[in-house]
Amino acid sequence: MNRYVKSATCPLIFFIAFCGSAYAQSQVIGAAAEASNMKLVGTNDLQARSAYQPTIHHQGDRWIAYIGHHGGTDAIPDPLNPLTGKAEANGTSIVDVTDPAHPKYLHHIPGQEGKYESGGAQMVRVCDGKGLPKADPSAVYMLRAVGGEGHEIWNVADPANPVLVAHIGEGLKDTHKNWWECDTGIAYLVSGAPDWRTRRMTQVYDLSDPAHPVKIRDFGLPGQEPGSTGAVPTELHGPISTGPAGNRVYFGYGTDKGGILQIVDRDKLINGPKEPTPDNLRFPEIARLAMSAFNGAHTTFPMPQMPIAEFAHDKDGKMRDIVMIVDEAIVNECAEPRQMVWFADVTVEGRPMMISSYTASEASGSFCERGGRFGAHSSNESMAGVYYKKMAFIAFFNAGVRALDIRDPYHPREVGYFIPSITDKTDKRCVPVEGKERCKVAIQTNNVETDDRGYIYIVDRANTGLHILELTGDARAVAGLPAE
Amino acid sequence: MRGLPIIGGAVLAIAALSTAAGVHYAAPREAHGSHWQEIAWPFPRDGWPAGRAFRCDPASCGAEAELYVRPKIGFCNCDSGVADDDEVDRVADLDLISERFAPLASGKPVRIAEMSGRLRNYHLDMSGGARHAAIGIAVSHRCDLLVAVAQGAGGAGELQRAALEFLASHEMRHWMMAALGGG
Repeated sequence: MNRYVKSATCPLIFFIAFCGSAYAQSQVIGAAAEASNMKLVGTNDLQARSAYQPTIHHQGDRWIAYIGHHGGTDAIPDPLNPLTGKAEANGTSIVDVTDPAHPKYLHHIPGQEGKYESGGAQMVRVCDGKGLPKADPSAVYMLRAVGGEGHEIWNVADPANPVLVAHIGEGLKDTHKNWWECDTGIAYLVSGAPDWRTRRMTQVYDLSDPAHPVKIRDFGLPGQEPGSTGAVPTELHGPISTGPAGNRVYFGYGTDKGGILQIVDRDKLINGPKEPTPDNLRFPEIARLAMSAFNGAHTTFPMPQMPIAEFAHDKDGKMRDIVMIVDEAIVNECAEPRQMVWFADVTVEGRPMMISSYTASEASGSFCERGGRFGAHSSNESMAGVYYKKMAFIAFFNAGVRALDIRDPYHPREVGYFIPSITDKTDKRCVPVEGKERCKVAIQTNNVETDDRGYIYIVDRANTGLHILELTGDARAVAGLPAE
Repeated sequence: MRGLPIIGGAVLAIAALSTAAGVHYAAPREAHGSHWQEIAWPFPRDGWPAGRAFRCDPASCGAEAELYVRPKIGFCNCDSGVADDDEVDRVADLDLISERFAPLASGKPVRIAEMSGRLRNYHLDMSGGARHAAIGIAVSHRCDLLVAVAQGAGGAGELQRAALEFLASHEMRHWMMAALGGG
């Protein structure tokens, strides 16, 4: 073989090897799930509805999963509900997961008509009536966003027969990931008030009596309020409150761009001046952490007073207040900067600082080639002791769910993952190439939640359904779970 | 054999990317059939890649004017598109020029390169105290945006006419569609 043939052959071999590996990583129906230190316990197809936020609630002696959905697809705008025999706009799935190996689909509450992000009922929070100050103690209340138009509260004491209690919001531009304090009833509703300059801001409500919602105030970043001019700050994604005891609300702005972590004094927010002037909007703010324009702040999950082993013998600063910030990838096939997970040390609140980051390894699965989105989206938000401040679970779209050891948040470490198999329900994801659509089918793990028993629930944006998982192997020791 | 379609696709994609990248950083030149000269993208890197920038001479546009155009891949309002004037305020890149801008009136619908959206007139308070007219434009294609902003010291009417005429040129329409994946 002369040198010219050699020089032509080498790139060809590389190209074929590269393309072959891309094909090898593509998911096919019937193939086994990909897993490390996690295993499948049970599954439900959620009527092939695109799923977003799961909330798992311990209700009497039962465990119930409430799962919000995006709108339907072009192919099937309103999927069939086999329980009613009717085509229904995607809304909220209610699934009994008491026996996680055999989840039982109980009920579907239809949502707003509309496809993809334009419809459905994406978000869900649940509080017991007995914990809310002015509620019916026999009731269990589910707060959900209904498409972009408003919010609803349902009594789900009998989860197979939910009853509408109240509707909140008229003519909103959008909604998103709410937070509801189950001990006070204060709710931070992500809304788009019609007169505000942003699609998503905060409407603070007193939902201590869910049948009679009382609005407290509108809140957002200066520049978003009605009548302002000039540049409009990044829109809200969602807040998380630490309640009266912690007296902080951590707001995440941005999705995949220009993220901001805003730390707010909860008491000043609720009881301070409410007229949405720039000064009044600044009044409760303690600090902001502006992120790179490349990344958004989808979830801002607080973990105050974490003991850091490395600092155990330091005279000061051995406990740190940490906020885990999760970005959301929104574009298929890696056509944007990587969206990932960030850890901020907010112990000195006026000077929050990024200390570490995590991403799933692209090379470990050729994820940019698989189709759909690759990157972070959301984390579990349960603060139950089984995992809180020890492990975090991150929905990573086509890389499934990733289990992180976060006991040292300065050095987060992946200790497990699970990428479900695709099924005949899994929807395609397309990108424009030379004027045509090129589509691939891949898992799109959209969100994750955990329960007090240690089960991990992941749901799929591409209609594959719910997968209930548990830890295996070394990952169990990280959480302090007994060996199998 | 299964790799051949991918190889072909990769070659086409590389060719398309090369074409797009080539025009981003072209030396100053006059765009076909217009009085807009291409200049280097003048803004620092932000959340989206740089676009294309053009300058119009006073004889053609009434006063010196500049136009900045770029795709923004990844836009959440896939179905509703650019639904209102607030959306134009948020996305049209006016803040790259000045954080201090104010609309002069309600916007109006616009179609550019077969994409629908809205156009709105503003005044910009520039550093140094000058006040410029500006036109913010945002149109969408599925889940992506194409935004443009023109600004100059002259009148808003002439600036808008010159900017829209240039954006409607064959070369710009072709580039905009290619930048959004050709679809």
